[in-house]
Amino acid sequence: METLETQETIKTIKTIETVKIVKHVENAIELSNISYYYPNAQEPSLKNINLTVEKGKFIVLMGSTGAGKTTLSLCLNGLIPQLLEGKLTGQVSVAGKNVGKTAVQSLSKVLGLVLQDPEAQIIGRTVEEDTAFGPRNFLVPFDEIKQRVNKTLEKVRLKGYNQRLTEELSGGEKQRLAIAGVLVMEPEILVLDEPTSELDPIGRSEIYATLDDLHRKKDLTILLVEHSSEELIQKADEIVVLNQGEVFWKGLPSELFRNLPLLRQWGIKPLPVSQLGWNFYEKGWISFAEIPLDIPSAEGLIRALLPKYGHWHEHGHGHGHGHGHGHAQGQGQRRDRLFKQEPYFSETEIAVQVSDLIYQYNSGQTALQGINLTIKAGEFVALIGQNGAGKTTLAKHFNGLLKPTSGEVIVEGMNTSRYDTSDLSKTIGYVFQNPDHQIFSTTVEKELEFGLKNAGYKGQESKDRVDQVLEYTGLEKYRSVHPFSLGKGERQMIAVASILVLKPKLLIIDEPTTGSDWAGVQMMMALIRKLHTARTTIIMISHDMDLVAQYAKRVIVLKDGGIMLDGTPQDVFSKEQILVDSAIIPPQLCRLSSQLKDILGHKTLIESNEFMAMFERQEKTGC
Amino acid sequence: MLIEYLPGDTLIHRLDVRTKMFGFLGFMILSFLFQDPTYQLLIVFSIGLVAFWIKIPLRKIGGMLVPLIPIILSIILITGFTFTPERFDRVSSQAILFYALPGDRLGATVGGFLMGTTFIFRLISMMIASSVLTLTTSMDDFTQFFHKMKVPAEVSMMLTTAIRFLPTLDKKRKLILEAQKARGTKLNEKGIVGPIQSYLPIMIPLFINSIMMANSLSMAMLNRGYGLTRTWTSMRELSFALRDYWTILLIVLLLTLAIFVRFRLQLGVL
Repeated sequence: METLETQETIKTIKTIETVKIVKHVENAIELSNISYYYPNAQEPSLKNINLTVEKGKFIVLMGSTGAGKTTLSLCLNGLIPQLLEGKLTGQVSVAGKNVGKTAVQSLSKVLGLVLQDPEAQIIGRTVEEDTAFGPRNFLVPFDEIKQRVNKTLEKVRLKGYNQRLTEELSGGEKQRLAIAGVLVMEPEILVLDEPTSELDPIGRSEIYATLDDLHRKKDLTILLVEHSSEELIQKADEIVVLNQGEVFWKGLPSELFRNLPLLRQWGIKPLPVSQLGWNFYEKGWISFAEIPLDIPSAEGLIRALLPKYGHWHEHGHGHGHGHGHGHAQGQGQRRDRLFKQEPYFSETEIAVQVSDLIYQYNSGQTALQGINLTIKAGEFVALIGQNGAGKTTLAKHFNGLLKPTSGEVIVEGMNTSRYDTSDLSKTIGYVFQNPDHQIFSTTVEKELEFGLKNAGYKGQESKDRVDQVLEYTGLEKYRSVHPFSLGKGERQMIAVASILVLKPKLLIIDEPTTGSDWAGVQMMMALIRKLHTARTTIIMISHDMDLVAQYAKRVIVLKDGGIMLDGTPQDVFSKEQILVDSAIIPPQLCRLSSQLKDILGHKTLIESNEFMAMFERQEKTGC
Repeated sequence: MLIEYLPGDTLIHRLDVRTKMFGFLGFMILSFLFQDPTYQLLIVFSIGLVAFWIKIPLRKIGGMLVPLIPIILSIILITGFTFTPERFDRVSSQAILFYALPGDRLGATVGGFLMGTTFIFRLISMMIASSVLTLTTSMDDFTQFFHKMKVPAEVSMMLTTAIRFLPTLDKKRKLILEAQKARGTKLNEKGIVGPIQSYLPIMIPLFINSIMMANSLSMAMLNRGYGLTRTWTSMRELSFALRDYWTILLIVLLLTLAIFVRFRLQLGVL
């Protein structure tokens, strides 16, 4: 009895202690029962949100488009409800301050919010002028501003940029300047709303590295809203998933990214390696905790599983390593792979013929230097490369928006220098990155009719084509809706649809998935694949290497206005050194397969079912 | 563009912004004092010398002038026919060259044509003078000037952001133009309604984009404490140097001389 009692008292003491510890940890952000309706909205954008964020944590907020991520971040610094009206209920407190009762401007000293578009956040003409804007409003003395500006610019890796014009910065630099603009006010909490959505992989990893530095060096609490995931898993302390305005899940990144069904349900992009791991887990070969989240652990796992369940290894032993017969087998498999997919290109009809193309800007700077390229009808080509490598410049030659300085571009039998873009637009479709640059009609239907009117289609023919494309793209339900009342993903779809009504033989798509969530990406890519199957030649510009590897049949790597590599995704993504030089990070599974070179030989695998094939019996019996 | 700062180190660059503004004002008065085109020609010539001194980009000025030619011609014609002889002091200006309509109606006066020429010279000299001013004065200086002149902070903020966003909007305009061209928009349609109609696909997205950008800009400004106080830390203090006093003295002298010539000697009128 006595011992039991003492045990009990010990327990209570312990709980009291933990309570004390818990109390000691300060909360940077506390949300209780937050609900919010935008003006005139029937449905709430946020529903009963309860969330606390401890000081010094790095939290990532995820969820599909429209889940309320941006709305939530606007609540944190009082822009909701102080600037945007609507109905807000519940309590928001940030660093001990009641957000409802503190002006946005005063809150900016404790919570810095970086919005999505850096372009619209830069106020100054020079980097220094822009960074100084915040402290100047707080009447910080001149000398201290100078000091703070320099310190902050160093933190975001823009040291020495003081006198540079903001107009001339690259996308990544602009985004880091936007971060500097709020950091310079020395907030305790930093909230970033999709800061990398419009950056190339290099720009993105620079932002992440900057955030990582900030998180480690200073006791800064970071809340990051983000779609992409691969680099974040190691960095984030916790992930919060929003779904339709509610907090659905909160926990460790590794827990979330191992749980593939959950990711699919919430529209979050899974990691390719964990996809692979999930397949093993489903077969019962590994436990949940063993699902890999990075390349080294995936490599270890495959090496461990191969002798047990794999057949590739046995096979290799049976025929001697990789020589002669083994190689032929590899090729056989590749042919298999091609065979399984949609028609590659059987005809010899040429869609695009570029010879000795040189393009110079008016300033005399050379953007393209001697490009020679043939694209056959029905191909699916991806143009990849760093920002400024010349991808868009090259693509704009295909529909005559740019005319060669020297050399020739012949598209579908037409020399682009002799035709106007409006004439070429009937056979060559070009979908730009930002749909908002072209939408101007009051309904989706009218938006689609515009191109047809330009091309001279009238009456029934025009109506039929619009109907057809609305059905094809799944936009039928939005026929008479105002395009700007729809989400970004739908607007992107409208932009594509407005080109598709012209039934182009060649379709150029520039970054079709920027800013879309995983579900949106998959819908868009399914549409593009459908078009490709229907024999449209596709030229896609993309930074998303996973998509390129998965969908394109031919990959062209550009660097400094020249073609570095041109081949199948397998070939291109196995040339590691050249890719490193062109600042391209191959897709995760390609990197994994190059780690497994000793087993795979020179074969590069790009899809998770190809890896699974290593473990399946049928493949072996085929030989 | 007109308002691009041209870095340099001439005397005019180094002058205080207030001196330059005073000079600009004096120059305007000077130009409006005289009606005689010969005097105006002299004024154009002297401001031309100043422009040459700061190495004004001639091609840009030329580019600005060429589209104005139709306006220039129409100004001369309009003044030629609409200025009646009674409006002129000198007899030579009252002479009527010919009548445009039968029955001695709508006569073209010598003075009218001369007045038209004066207007043109005035236009040109104003253009050069304002270019000289904007090319030699940085945006910072202008905001400082507004601040000193007790212009409300909101107004100067509005002006500076407008100037900051001009290149951004221009970039947007180009992107929109490309996107619409790719959908077959033709921008050279004939007729009266045609051109306006063909610009709608450019103008509407441009407006929508500007409004969206303005929205996020207002958020970004609040995020960074704008509006917390009605003033802000000034990054640079304006100060007069000796050269400023000398320049102001020179401007005052020139103006007095001009006023003397115009009102005492009654020269330079038509």
